[in-house]
Amino acid sequence: MNAWVGVELENLSIRFGDFVAVRDANVNIRGGDFFSFLGPSGCGKTTILRAVSGFLAPSSGNILIGGKNMKGVGPNKRPTALIFQNLALFPLMKVWENITFSMEIRGARAAERRKRADELLEMVALTGQGDKLPAELSGGQKQRVAIARALCAEPHVLLLDEPLSALDLKLRQHMRTELREIQKQVGITFIYITHDQGEALTMSDSIAVMRAGVIDQIGNGRAIYNDPATPFAASFVGENNVFRGKVVQIIGHEALIRTNRSGEIRARISTANLGKLQQGDSAMVFIRPEALDMAGADLEGDHYVSARVTNEEFEGDVFNIFMEGDGGKEIKVSLPNRGQSFESHKGRTVTLRYDVKNAVAMPAGILATE
Amino acid sequence: MSQLGSRIGVQIYLVIFFAYLLGPLVIMSVTAFNSSSFPSAMPWECLTFDWFRSLLQDSRIMNGIRNSILIGAGTVVLSVLMGLSGALVLMRIWPRLRATYYTIVIAPILIPGVVLGISTLVFWDRINRLLGLGPGSVLSNGLFLTILGQSTFIASYCMLVMVARLQRYDETLSEAALDLGATPAQVFRKILLPFMRPAIVTAAVLAFLASFENYNTTTFIFGEYPTLTIELSQKVRYGVTPAVSALAFIIVALTIFIALANEAIRRRRELVAAVRSGASVTVAAGGRVTLPRIFSGNISAVLVVAMAMGTIVMIGTASVYRPDQCIADLRQEKQLAAQKRAEELRRQRDAKTGGTGENVGIDPVTSPAAPPRSQGGGFETVFDPGVLQELGN
Amino acid sequence: MPRFCHDFLQRLGTVPGLIMLGLVLFWTIGLIVLPQLSMLDFSFRANLPPSEVGGPNDVHTLENYKYLLYGPEGGSQRYNSVDLKVFFRTIVAAACVTLFDLVLCYPIAYYLGQTQGKHIRVLALLLIIPYWINEILRAFALRIIFGETGVLNGILVGTGLSDAPFDFIRNNYALYAGLGYAYILLMIFPIYNVIESLDRNQIEAARDLGAPWWRIHARVVIPYARIGISSGCTMVFMLTAGALAAPQILGGPSSLWFTQLIYQHFNDSSNWPQGAAYAVVLLLSCIVMVLAFMRLFKVSMGDVNK
Repeated sequence: MNAWVGVELENLSIRFGDFVAVRDANVNIRGGDFFSFLGPSGCGKTTILRAVSGFLAPSSGNILIGGKNMKGVGPNKRPTALIFQNLALFPLMKVWENITFSMEIRGARAAERRKRADELLEMVALTGQGDKLPAELSGGQKQRVAIARALCAEPHVLLLDEPLSALDLKLRQHMRTELREIQKQVGITFIYITHDQGEALTMSDSIAVMRAGVIDQIGNGRAIYNDPATPFAASFVGENNVFRGKVVQIIGHEALIRTNRSGEIRARISTANLGKLQQGDSAMVFIRPEALDMAGADLEGDHYVSARVTNEEFEGDVFNIFMEGDGGKEIKVSLPNRGQSFESHKGRTVTLRYDVKNAVAMPAGILATE
Repeated sequence: MSQLGSRIGVQIYLVIFFAYLLGPLVIMSVTAFNSSSFPSAMPWECLTFDWFRSLLQDSRIMNGIRNSILIGAGTVVLSVLMGLSGALVLMRIWPRLRATYYTIVIAPILIPGVVLGISTLVFWDRINRLLGLGPGSVLSNGLFLTILGQSTFIASYCMLVMVARLQRYDETLSEAALDLGATPAQVFRKILLPFMRPAIVTAAVLAFLASFENYNTTTFIFGEYPTLTIELSQKVRYGVTPAVSALAFIIVALTIFIALANEAIRRRRELVAAVRSGASVTVAAGGRVTLPRIFSGNISAVLVVAMAMGTIVMIGTASVYRPDQCIADLRQEKQLAAQKRAEELRRQRDAKTGGTGENVGIDPVTSPAAPPRSQGGGFETVFDPGVLQELGN
Repeated sequence: MPRFCHDFLQRLGTVPGLIMLGLVLFWTIGLIVLPQLSMLDFSFRANLPPSEVGGPNDVHTLENYKYLLYGPEGGSQRYNSVDLKVFFRTIVAAACVTLFDLVLCYPIAYYLGQTQGKHIRVLALLLIIPYWINEILRAFALRIIFGETGVLNGILVGTGLSDAPFDFIRNNYALYAGLGYAYILLMIFPIYNVIESLDRNQIEAARDLGAPWWRIHARVVIPYARIGISSGCTMVFMLTAGALAAPQILGGPSSLWFTQLIYQHFNDSSNWPQGAAYAVVLLLSCIVMVLAFMRLFKVSMGDVNK
């Protein structure tokens, strides 16, 4: 097995004319990790991937793979393999020829290539499909061929550019598990690009959330989900209810915030923003729909919120209740369906309870647009 | 306009149009089998295969074919290479230069062939003189000049074919290959070239056909290498013989054959593709369905086979069939007719001095058995013993 | 520019890239631009014996162009009426042939492009076959038909419609028929290609709205097909005006085509500069006509040859 090779981005900036695609990115990806760049389209994540694989030269800063600076090293000389968004399987080559293309380049004999192809096909559960043409395979099968082809080059780092985006939902969920399995099996570094937070959360050891060329937060899935560093990260990863207001008081690691609509609420200051909130600052509090619960009576206090119910829906595993929220956005509450009876509150004002540790406060900022 | 009426109108128009398009070729082909020494179809004389024989014995035609193939091969190589390069450059050239570049490389299609021939001749003649080489140098060689002259515009055709294919090329394929360790040269050889192969083949066939039938450009620069087209034009301009019809028939038959074969192969490929994509679902059925379906759904394939068999039958007949008797009969008939007419003419001349002889010679009503030559060959030829001699040979 | 070269070489590899750039340079400069310039230059020179080329007499002159306008010096006529007449007849006849082909082909192209069914493929195949028959042979085929002893005269005389064979060749009927015949497919294919891509629903919609058939063509089909029409017209006009084989084979002995004058200067009278001057005139008038076509149909260079 390869020695684990990490990737470092040092002050990486990439500009196209006046447009800054990536601004001053600093990332340290540990060898053997499954690392994801998560962000909306156009945030610069694909640009980073193309720079790492060598198709783009950084405008400034460095890319180090396994500690070696990659400046001036062409894509065909880097220990990386890229899985393209459209897969880029060679349409005129058979599956096994596709897979072992990197061996053909090195001058390997056909028998040797065939053998290796069969091994890889077995690994990606495509045994016996080696003689087909890519056009004869289904979407999921093509996906696996692309993975096998990249792995055949024995890269130290595998780069994946939204490889699952073309698949349907079921297959996508299945492939997530499979990719993770393969990564564990081959034990090399995976760098994964996606705009789907579900993919990033389920597969990654570590995630970088990107917005407009800037990395907002790097951390593991739980940290990103539970302890977002910016309003963007909080609103982009998973659903979140936002409450805007002014800081009334700082109490240790917690803050009391007077919201525009929902009264005073108490929230934990997110780790990245400890010490950054002052009394009188504009702030945002994020509470996830599943962290809110219906409270029995009109209770007062700093971990209660009242709002008027505008709509209710039953989604199967959860009841969703929508309430008038702040700044045009509605508040959503998701109650798990455990077979309890459910009475309609439509049009009435209800009180919601939450745990202070589940409400995250941070300085106000830009939210992700849906 | 009623539905039926307009449909019948369309049908009639189609028939007339295709008759205009194909009729001349059919008539020309038919004349190859008529023993009349002037290519004609209407007064049918005798079925003969002699014109094919005289075609094969015509050394100038055979030499022309050889030159055409030689020049065609050179032109194919040069124009396919230039067309491919031109297309690749077009895809990557500096955007501000693109329009100018495109105009330059497309211009040869719009420049009259005559002008291309002349400019090639004049330019290389001047280079030749600048370099102080004699008239026997490579630069004034007909082979060299013709290949260059033809390639000038044939490369433009090739480029258009290449560009059409190249526009569908997925650039990420090159990137994927590079990423997997290939050098740019390897990407070109192993990914781009195989992708371009269908276009290259099409361009090569197009180039060869264009070269083979080119006249306007070639006629100024062929030098010591007259192509088939040049030889044909000489023959057609200075006295036609049905041997040319025979050649035309062969070319027409070959064209139809190739067109049909091409169509059959295309059909077959479509069917195979259909069967194969079906086979990925039901593997077992694939093999058995293929064979009979290829023929049943493929009229072209059947026609190709029929044509091949027809050719064999024709060659077989030609080697056995002897039209000598028919030709001899006809000769006798003609001699008789000529004598009769001569007598009649004499009688007329004796009787009256007013009538111009021409009317008598031409009017088929007065001499129903008149041989075809009398209809157009004019008055004098009827009495030309050389013509009769020729008919008998 | 060097950046483009660098990029090109990096994309294709140094050696293949250099070979290709070399080929393109040779093609554009050595085969297209320089020969045309050379011919232009040559057309301004006097016709000299080889020994005097480059000598003191080898100067630029307008003589060759003057000749086209005024004929030989001290000639009997004020203008070179023979050559000028040939020139204008060539242009006018080529335009007429183009128009004739357009009228003849448009219905066919429309029918082929808008009808579905297996027989369309067969018809397309039938169209392609004559396209690949040699130009000379196509002219020859018409000569068999139109010749004095040809099929047409055979029918005319045989059925008694005419009592003497009609000389189609001397009267140029054969020539015009042959020219119309020679390049007809270059009119059909571009129009067919464009009309094929026209959404049938547009026609249906127009018909639904009560438009008569001619209005559908005038307002929907023809505007849509104008790129194909202009491309076809351009090609047919250029090829007809530049045709040499058909006039040589089908033209009468006295009526010349402009290309034949050029041919004579090169092959019969060996006056190359004179021939080059005529070729330049032909080229320029063709360029003018193409630009006029493109202006008329409002298309750009990129649309031609589609």
